[in-house]
Amino acid sequence: MSAPVIGFAGLTHLGLCSSVAAASKGFHVVGYDGDSARVKDIAEGRWPVSEPGLVELAGAHGARLAWRDDTGALGLCDVVYIASDVSTDDYGRSELSEIVALIDRVSTVLKQDAILVVLCQVPPGFTRGLAFPPARLYYQVETLVFGRAVERATSPERFVVGCADPTAELPEAFRQFLDAYGCPILSMRYESAELAKISINCCLVASISVANTMAELCEKVGADWFEIVPALKLDKRIGQHAYLAPGLGVAGGNLERDLATVLCLAENTGSDAGVIESFVRSSHHCRDWVLRILHEHVLSGRPDAAIGILGLAYKENTHSTKNSPSLALMPHLKSWRVQMYDPVVPGGAVGQPNAVVAKSALEAARGMDALVIMTPWPEFQKLNPIDLAKVLRGRVVLDPYRVLEGAAVVAAGLDYFALGAPPLRAESGGSSNDPVFVQTERVG
Amino acid sequence: MLEHKNAIPAKPVRVVIIGAGGFVGSAIARQLAADGVSVLPLTRKELDLLADDAAAKLKGLLQPGDSIVMVSAIAPAKTVPGLIQNLEMAEAVCAALSETEIAHAVYISSDAVYVDDANPVTERSYLAPSTIHGMMHAARELMLKSATQAPVAMLRPTLIYGAADPHNGYGPNRFRRQAAKGEPILIFGEGEERRDHVFIDDVAKLVSLVLFQRSAGALNIATGVSTSFCDIAHTVMKQFPGAVVKNQPRQGPRPHLLHRHFDITNCLKTFPSFHYTQLEKGLALSKAGV
Repeated sequence: MSAPVIGFAGLTHLGLCSSVAAASKGFHVVGYDGDSARVKDIAEGRWPVSEPGLVELAGAHGARLAWRDDTGALGLCDVVYIASDVSTDDYGRSELSEIVALIDRVSTVLKQDAILVVLCQVPPGFTRGLAFPPARLYYQVETLVFGRAVERATSPERFVVGCADPTAELPEAFRQFLDAYGCPILSMRYESAELAKISINCCLVASISVANTMAELCEKVGADWFEIVPALKLDKRIGQHAYLAPGLGVAGGNLERDLATVLCLAENTGSDAGVIESFVRSSHHCRDWVLRILHEHVLSGRPDAAIGILGLAYKENTHSTKNSPSLALMPHLKSWRVQMYDPVVPGGAVGQPNAVVAKSALEAARGMDALVIMTPWPEFQKLNPIDLAKVLRGRVVLDPYRVLEGAAVVAAGLDYFALGAPPLRAESGGSSNDPVFVQTERVG
Repeated sequence: MLEHKNAIPAKPVRVVIIGAGGFVGSAIARQLAADGVSVLPLTRKELDLLADDAAAKLKGLLQPGDSIVMVSAIAPAKTVPGLIQNLEMAEAVCAALSETEIAHAVYISSDAVYVDDANPVTERSYLAPSTIHGMMHAARELMLKSATQAPVAMLRPTLIYGAADPHNGYGPNRFRRQAAKGEPILIFGEGEERRDHVFIDDVAKLVSLVLFQRSAGALNIATGVSTSFCDIAHTVMKQFPGAVVKNQPRQGPRPHLLHRHFDITNCLKTFPSFHYTQLEKGLALSKAGV
């Protein structure tokens, strides 16, 4: 059989990265989206998402990529993925009607033997409920990670495929496409695959929640979480790639969606999901770490305080601000002057009159009483603490993700607050009882 | 979590304080007067909530558009008759409220409504009172909410201290009085239990802020800093030259929950410019009789 033609319907983050990854494996790809302006932008190189390596990979394999705003070209495809991101409401619940409408639109133009694969995040039972011949209908787990989407799409650890009949062989075209990635393929019933995706994310949240809980304890008992992390990673039951970096709660939307789905399923079925409720509570608590520190060390003593904010995206290397801790913080700083900067996200995303956009990270710090690094963008690592000390009015640096070298910040005469260890004070030289922060590789 | 019905603070037309003669009620009245608010303070003299005509009398005193602060209680309610009396008092208030279009109601509740092992306590902690006193407040919260269409704020203070507190419970007030009388400050065991103590003026200030913003929902009134009884005793000792701290055997077993902490992030979000009085300063103000 000649190489199958692959289609992706829905050119949001997931569909775009998956399309480019498929082309990089040697397949001809049709990318479809009903938004003509979006398709035009993509075709002309104006990418609506920011992902390391995406533009370069698309450029290298552009000859096999066709972007379309009508469904017709999908009729030529052997395998068509429904690959649109699924939006969520403020409670993390999925809005599935758009996906159902997309499936309805696409399924009418498919070849008679074409395979339809649901790649988006859907709850258990969704795929089996679709009005499409089960023998040609599959669900596939996506494991997109914002900021590492290209790497994840081109080098997946495994494929998890939900099928009507897990004992049957996968259709040749589908098998041929998946084999090109060189990773294990796990077939299972639809519901298992749909719940596998959610289970993966619950495990990740469990790790994050443990890291956040222990990191907060470290801050209060004089330990340093980053000294502890290597001990955990060398434990085979935990592993090198475990999500152990403390953070400002769970963000990005996808993990929250799965927590909301489990809570909903538990409510419907009478299962105990107390642990998931604890994860959610822990996440809310962690998200407010910066606000608590600012009030305790800056705002309570200075009614006229001014705060510099670096980073608006929910994590580095992405334009996404979904559930961003930075945007969550902003409304609570309305009573104070704020200067902010993000390398990618426009300041207008904040939409608050008290917040002005600076042209650079250093300019955002100028004249401020405290500087908060809310997103660990690589460019913030280049900030020189001595330069910061010169432009800051106050002495407080909040660096939850340890973008800067704590000892260097203290040496520049600034107080340094990070997740997972007690604060380092300039007046004590960061010494005495305060542990020296260790810079370690971040995970996740 | 509180939701402000007034996005921009606005002075209430009139505030009726039910229970204005007590430690908390009188502090609220003073604060509101200082904020230029028209106040109708009702003490037991003007309104006995256990009298047969209490509901009718209160209804006669209320005007449409009033804000009310319900602080009156026979506290602590430790017995079943005490519980019933407190509910009867609330019943009278509810009967009056249900026939008057008030603008806003504020109920001074208690952190006793929360489950004992909540730690740290937040407004999201489960309401599962383990005492009659806690159940009394939880029931009164529901009664008031069901009696009016107006926004209702439930404020749940933890341990309050201040110069005028008539109670002499274990903690800052008793320690200060012991020291003032030249008696040793007595702590049980090592006095290691940590609790959050809030200064009376902060309670009054928060009530005023809530009234100006016509807030609805729940807010804990706690500083977010828990201090051991031993540390409080020594802080008081330093404020009274010659005072001493003495340990005495604990009466009964050590508390089930040794420490109680509050996460006050919601307060930081709700009233960003408000900050609590630090314990040392509050104790000094209490000593000065402020």
